[in-house]
Amino acid sequence: MSNKTIFGLIIALILVVVGWNSFFVVSQIERGIVLQFGKVVKDDVQPGLHFKLPFIQEHRLFDGRLLTLDSATQRYLTLEKKALMVDSYAKWRIANVERFYTATSGMRSIAEERLSRQLESGLRNEVARRTLNEVVSGERDQLMADITSTLDTSARRELGIEVLDVRVKAIDLPSEVNRSVFERMSSEREREAREHRAKGRELAEGIRADADRQQRVILAEAFREAEQIRGDGDAQSAAIYSEAYNKDPEFYSFYRSLQAYRESFSSKSDILVLDPESEFFRYLQGNGVR
Amino acid sequence: MAWNEPGGGKNNNQDPWGSGGGNNDKNNGNRGGKQGPPDLDEALKKLQDSLNGLFGGKKGSSNNGGGNNRSGGGAGIPKAVWMIGGLVIIAFWLFSAVYTVDEQEQAIVLRFGEYHRTVEPGLHLYFPPIEKKFQRNVTQVRSYRQQGQMLTEDENIVEVPVAIQYRISNLENFVLKVEDPETSLRHATESALRHVVGSTSMHQVLTEGREQMGVETTERLQRYLDTYNTGITVVQVNIESAQAPAEVQDAFDDVIRAREDEVRERNQAESYANGVIPEARGQAQRLLEEANGYRDEVIARADGEAQRFNQLYVQYEMSPEVLRERMYIETLQDVMSSTSKILVSGGDGNNNLLYLPLDKLMQQGGGGSSSSSSSARTDSTTSDAQSRMPVQIQQRDLRSRESR
Repeated sequence: MSNKTIFGLIIALILVVVGWNSFFVVSQIERGIVLQFGKVVKDDVQPGLHFKLPFIQEHRLFDGRLLTLDSATQRYLTLEKKALMVDSYAKWRIANVERFYTATSGMRSIAEERLSRQLESGLRNEVARRTLNEVVSGERDQLMADITSTLDTSARRELGIEVLDVRVKAIDLPSEVNRSVFERMSSEREREAREHRAKGRELAEGIRADADRQQRVILAEAFREAEQIRGDGDAQSAAIYSEAYNKDPEFYSFYRSLQAYRESFSSKSDILVLDPESEFFRYLQGNGVR
Repeated sequence: MAWNEPGGGKNNNQDPWGSGGGNNDKNNGNRGGKQGPPDLDEALKKLQDSLNGLFGGKKGSSNNGGGNNRSGGGAGIPKAVWMIGGLVIIAFWLFSAVYTVDEQEQAIVLRFGEYHRTVEPGLHLYFPPIEKKFQRNVTQVRSYRQQGQMLTEDENIVEVPVAIQYRISNLENFVLKVEDPETSLRHATESALRHVVGSTSMHQVLTEGREQMGVETTERLQRYLDTYNTGITVVQVNIESAQAPAEVQDAFDDVIRAREDEVRERNQAESYANGVIPEARGQAQRLLEEANGYRDEVIARADGEAQRFNQLYVQYEMSPEVLRERMYIETLQDVMSSTSKILVSGGDGNNNLLYLPLDKLMQQGGGGSSSSSSSARTDSTTSDAQSRMPVQIQQRDLRSRESR
């Protein structure tokens, strides 16, 4: 290799390094600034390929997307001094790159720490103004909107950050309260269960009693009707008898008595002690002539 | 594959180079464009001399490929080697620069970090390293599930599992606007779901309110995602069977059992009723039938007896005396013949002490001989002597009467 070649190579190397240092790329997902001796000379550099003065200016890139601050679960007190465990997150992004850089020297962790402190105090204030029920159910949206707007204002001013949204991921009761909630739920269920069983017994008793009543009524009415029928039979038969026997009561009594005799002396075990003088035996004595 | 394409590939990549150079206002010093300053070109050639064979960075290699088309080759190195090296480099570059976007996919390309274009399905070319591409499936429906305990409106705690189906609808937003959009989706889901559950009563959550909650959650979640520009579209939020937490599951199950108990009690009672009442009706029927039977019976008997009497009476009216006598005698004959008899001649009261061993007579089972020799009596165990006994008495009586 000749000297010329070596010299050319060195020149080339220097040129490459210089070139390397005079261009930088800002990606679509980034925000950039250019510093000159630590002072911001270009704010909010757009995505694309950019030129800077090598070795004099340096560029800094920050994540320009929407970022998530996932804050830890914290204990808050409501208006009626009940404790709540609230887990929330905030969606933020860099609004003003220069301010962001000067406030946090571009460190996301610092920004998030300050943001989460503000978020926490904002939540604390808002929760303390509301009852537990309002926080849990009714006013979540309003609560979040309030916190978002206050947080946004202060974060823009202090950190160059815009807070797009603050949301509560979870609102739970502290674990020691959970236990009592479970007990209450259990007791409510038990009450319901007892109610059901009692209602069942009540119904059953009613149905049984009604059945018994119906049974008695049916039998009694049947008895009444049966007695009427029997009476009717008795009456009709009596009428028939009297119609027949009234023709000659004397003869009837004779006829009926004979029947009765026949009926009453019908078995061998009846012993008749008779007087031969009686009417029946009048032909037994003598010679048959009266 | 691309083995027969180097020529075409060369044309292909020369064209874009031209356009690439033209597109950029800036003077790409480190690129072998036609507008590149000559000294730089020279220097690059020298650089290639030293770097020949070591194609390290892609940047370098693509530059070589670009530069080589116009360079006549370096000193001391045969042209053929340059050619072959250049071709290999171009082939490599092509291999990475040509890509297919599947029918289900979309790709976005960034040039110098800046969003440049969204690419629809097909065969495409891009230019690493100055371009970057992100390629994702945008029609496939992805899903994930999560579940947790949460508070309801009436401050009860329920366990709600939920399945989310979503797809990437706007790749540009998905890639460029939000850090880790899928985590954002999870956060937002949790928030939206808890919000909806928190404004619903436990009874609704556990029973018929689920569908409505799914709709509300979907709507709310989509609103969050649109606010964040995640480029994600929620296809469906499916709230699966929510249940009470394990700690109170027993109590809840007991309610279900209690409901069943209630029904069972009622059924038992009804079956009792269904047994008792028809039975009572049957008994009633029996009573009535018996009564009817009785009535018909007595009336028929009365009828019969009355008619018998009437018929007899007709005869009686004709000859009362004779009939009476005959009836009397017949009756007595019947009576006498079917009973045991003892004739005691009373006389004029002289026979005032008469001992009759009635008990003895009774013990004989009333076995008196009837004049009619009825052999129909199967239970007759009486001996002849016994049966003749009253007769003997009679005879004695008769003798005594004669002697008197």
